[in-house]
Amino acid sequence: MSFFNSLIPSLNGECAVAETPATRRPRYEITETPEGYDVEVSLPGVSKEGLEITDEAGELRINAKPARELPEGRVLVHGETSDAAFVLLLDHDNTIVPESTQADLRDGVLHLKLSKVESAKPRKIAVN
Amino acid sequence: MQFIKFTQPSGRFAVPSAQFGGRLGVASLENELDWLFGTALTRLAGPSRGVQFPVDHYEDKENTYVRAELPGVDRESINVEFVDGTLTIQASRKAKPGEGESTVSLSRQVGISDGIEADKVSAAYVNGVITVTLPRKEEAKPRKINVSVN
Repeated sequence: MSFFNSLIPSLNGECAVAETPATRRPRYEITETPEGYDVEVSLPGVSKEGLEITDEAGELRINAKPARELPEGRVLVHGETSDAAFVLLLDHDNTIVPESTQADLRDGVLHLKLSKVESAKPRKIAVN
Repeated sequence: MQFIKFTQPSGRFAVPSAQFGGRLGVASLENELDWLFGTALTRLAGPSRGVQFPVDHYEDKENTYVRAELPGVDRESINVEFVDGTLTIQASRKAKPGEGESTVSLSRQVGISDGIEADKVSAAYVNGVITVTLPRKEEAKPRKINVSVN
């Protein structure tokens, strides 16, 4: 049980939102380059099997479920972290090329390389 | 263009941003409040040599386990010490591009009850999560005692 929920038991997943699985937004950072975007998302405890990246209607969606099943006999004594799945939605307004997206998951950090569509790249305009 | 550079303060894990779609749910709010309360209490516990991070504490019959989420830290920088009943986990992470060559130091101390075989403490770092295994001494393990009743 999380610390906050232990203070206010009524929020312990048994309220009106109980049917919706709890999720959390991961820590992330986006760096823009002339060619595209580099995105770093912290996903501790997530393996490739628990990671799903989709792109639809101008929205990049990252669903990641940490693998955290306790071996038999092991009990939680004190918990400060969450085991909720990570969900991150990034609106890009169709300014990237989904097919050219590169993804690499290493040590709990997802590295995404997104390429801009040609019309979104900076252009130098000649002055006559 | 809706991509906005968003740099989080060091040591934070689940920080909501209204700028990027604004999808902040109840769960995110709970995470945030948990972090605030947990960090506040943690900081009362003692001095720190770096940014603190949350830990979980597990037990079974044989061992005590301390688990911490440390995504993206340099493996070589991870340092685990167990001295006089105190477990110290330290690591560092390179600062983001544009912030120079500096590193962010992370540190957390956890008090562990007596009865640990200090020379057998081990640690594993998998998928950005470190798990320290602290084996209990034989005399500290739970034992079933049969008592005959006359």
